Amino acid sequence: MKIKKNFVLWTILFTTLISTSRVEAQKNDISSQVTLANEFYHEKNYQAAADIFEKLVAQGETNGFLYYNLGNTHMRLGNTGNAILYYLRSQLLLPRNENLDANLRYAINQTQDQLSPSRGGLIHSLFFWVDSINLIEHFEILILFNIIFWCICIGSLYYRKSPWESLKKISLAILLLAFFSTGIKYNLLSEHKTGVIMGKKVDVKSDRNIQNVTLFELHEGAIITVNQEDNEWAHILVSTDKSGWVPIESIAY
Amino acid sequence: MQNTPKTKLHSWPTVPAILIFIFIPVTSFSSNIQLSTSVDKNQLTIEDSLELSIKISGVRNPPIPNLPPLINFNVRSTGTQSSTHIFNSDMQVSTTHKYLLTPKIEGDLIIGPVIMNLAGSNYQSDPITVTIKKLNPIKPNKNRSVYTETSISKTTPYLNEQIVYTFKLFRKTEARNLNLSMPYDESFFRKENLGKAKRYTRVINEIAYDVDEVSIALFPIKTGESTIPPSMMELDLIHRTQTNRQRDPFARFFNDPFFGRTTQSKHKIFSTKPIKLETKPLPKKGKPREFKNLVGQFSITATVGKESFDAGDTTTLTITVSGIGNVMDVSLTNLNLGDQFKIYPDQPILKKSIHGNQIGGEKIFKFALVPFTTGKQTIPSISLNYFDPDKNRYSTISTNPIRLTIKPGTRTENLNLVQSKTAPTQQKGSTVAILARDILPIHTRVDDFKRVRFDQSQRMIYMLWIIFPIIIYLIAAGYIRYNHKMNEDMSYSRRQVAHRKAIKKLNQLSVSNPEPKDSVRELSQIIREYIGDKLNLQGTAFTSKEVGERLNKNIFTDDKIFAIKKLLEKIESIQYMPVVVHKNHCLIDETTELLISLEK
Repeated sequence: MKIKKNFVLWTILFTTLISTSRVEAQKNDISSQVTLANEFYHEKNYQAAADIFEKLVAQGETNGFLYYNLGNTHMRLGNTGNAILYYLRSQLLLPRNENLDANLRYAINQTQDQLSPSRGGLIHSLFFWVDSINLIEHFEILILFNIIFWCICIGSLYYRKSPWESLKKISLAILLLAFFSTGIKYNLLSEHKTGVIMGKKVDVKSDRNIQNVTLFELHEGAIITVNQEDNEWAHILVSTDKSGWVPIESIAY
Repeated sequence: MQNTPKTKLHSWPTVPAILIFIFIPVTSFSSNIQLSTSVDKNQLTIEDSLELSIKISGVRNPPIPNLPPLINFNVRSTGTQSSTHIFNSDMQVSTTHKYLLTPKIEGDLIIGPVIMNLAGSNYQSDPITVTIKKLNPIKPNKNRSVYTETSISKTTPYLNEQIVYTFKLFRKTEARNLNLSMPYDESFFRKENLGKAKRYTRVINEIAYDVDEVSIALFPIKTGESTIPPSMMELDLIHRTQTNRQRDPFARFFNDPFFGRTTQSKHKIFSTKPIKLETKPLPKKGKPREFKNLVGQFSITATVGKESFDAGDTTTLTITVSGIGNVMDVSLTNLNLGDQFKIYPDQPILKKSIHGNQIGGEKIFKFALVPFTTGKQTIPSISLNYFDPDKNRYSTISTNPIRLTIKPGTRTENLNLVQSKTAPTQQKGSTVAILARDILPIHTRVDDFKRVRFDQSQRMIYMLWIIFPIIIYLIAAGYIRYNHKMNEDMSYSRRQVAHRKAIKKLNQLSVSNPEPKDSVRELSQIIREYIGDKLNLQGTAFTSKEVGERLNKNIFTDDKIFAIKKLLEKIESIQYMPVVVHKNHCLIDETTELLISLEK
């Protein structure tokens, strides 16, 4: 019995060590790849830098600075559409980065249509801070206030004093606010798909067929909202009065 | 029942014929077409209005007659009425157009003839003369049911100084359809609204008036004499009259406002007196060179997004100018921060607000700053001049200098300048022309490139973190509640510890090995204490029969009660036997088993 127990313990320890060292090795590999790509970028070998950054993204690396650097690299290569796409992806993770904002503004200025990301309506105005906090931060804030609230609940149950009751009400209000804020952010990210026009010139059609009427034209780098996908076509929205269908391969999101 | 074809033949042209008969103007009823005009009163004051009725009889659906030029009146249509009267076999039709005329001037005014053209024939009414009398000058405003007032906060303002123009309507009676016109000379003033109308009650000469007050802020934009023209308040005064129901037992009941006593409305127009102003130029003495027509009371603050950052990075300088006055005119176009920074100005944001009865607010200017060099840098103090009309002198406000630390970057990026699509702009007042704009450098701190995880497992962890405190709370709440109950509820406390206490005593008894008689007595005592604790009874002096009765009322089942009774009887019988032959250990074990079975 004792031998079995020891065997299980050693197995767990060994597996943990192996997985930790594997994670560490992977981390070192990513760091060296990023350093190499940055070197290429500084040497103006933008294509090589872009290849490394793209490979990391394809591997599933999700990082705001990685997207930002890739956006910069595409900007240098003259791919404004790709640059804006990665800046927008980066903005989801780094919503308060001033450099990113400046570069995104600059990139949008370089496009023909100069369309900025659309902002939401009344709920967006009420929960104005939602844009400045990313989803992970939202969850972290929610967890923090959740812990605080339940700790205060335990305190109020133990001490049974009115200040604890007031604290409980305040913390509940903040927790609800954090909860709704997180819900709105989650909903915005899952429902409100922001995309970018990748083709040099894209005709926006009235329906899902190339022979339909062209309502208006969009150019590379134009930021749009993707409403609906239907096989090879996507319904996009530019503003409340400008929407239509585009081939799905002409956009990225 | 079905109609025969013959009947149908007769009925189908009937309906269109009736429709044509109704809607096309015809003179079939009477060849005597008449056009007449009348007014409800011939004498009125400048505050009153009269109703002009134009009646056309003898024709159905006549065209709208042409009104004469009425330059001395404000004219408003109040509707059209049509009527049909049948006397014996004679049918009379008439149409009445009604207009509300409000005089603009005093004196004898003529309402010219009204002309109507019908089928090539002209019909004309007689002119009417009305007299517009002067208002009674003896008691201006005093004891009047309704009157108006206008006031101005200052009659000799400075150029660009805020003045508050206030209109007040005092009324004792109910008024509806209020329509206020507060004209001003747009070539002399710029207007800002000061929020919604205020309504309050004021007692004047022992009479309570409802006061409606509307204020606007005016900023003189020219020096010299100017006049604010009269304000006009148009309204319907409601007079409630009681019907003659004094003998009626239900009179009081129906005079209740709920049932809407008879009301009469009277259209009135009140105009105020014009107000003359003398706008003074701003004093030349002490006028700073950078002064930009800012008049009022202001403050200025400056903050930066971050005070320490890497070379090539940006920081946002936010300058906020707030106060009372023409804050909307503040401009910081030629911001001079030396040659240390590249400045990218953003669009300023204006937030208006009302302070007391004056307009003010704040204007926020944002500038993105990119430092040219590394090391310690200072954003110098930024000054703003304004004229304070209360103190009658110019004042200068300034921000505190801000110290910045610009660290050398991990690796400096050689900027590969690309020409912007938009034409390079030259900042106003600056001699440095911007040749091109470029993107900011890549991020080089490798530690920041950690993978951000938000996959299924991460979401599960977040969910666990949300659920975990709730579980902790439930456990803690249960424990706290148990503790509170144990401290506060003696019966509960006794019930909870009864079994543990009894078992402990039984264990002690089995170890101690006393005299058989004492042991049996002790055993009896333990069982009684156990029952006492369970039922929250005081003392242990009860017989086995009493135990049976008390337990019956409570939670134990009959077989358990029987077992207790049996054991107690057994113990009692052993206790009073002359010689104890029973084995103590067997009895203790039996008691322990019984207590365990009772707890189940």
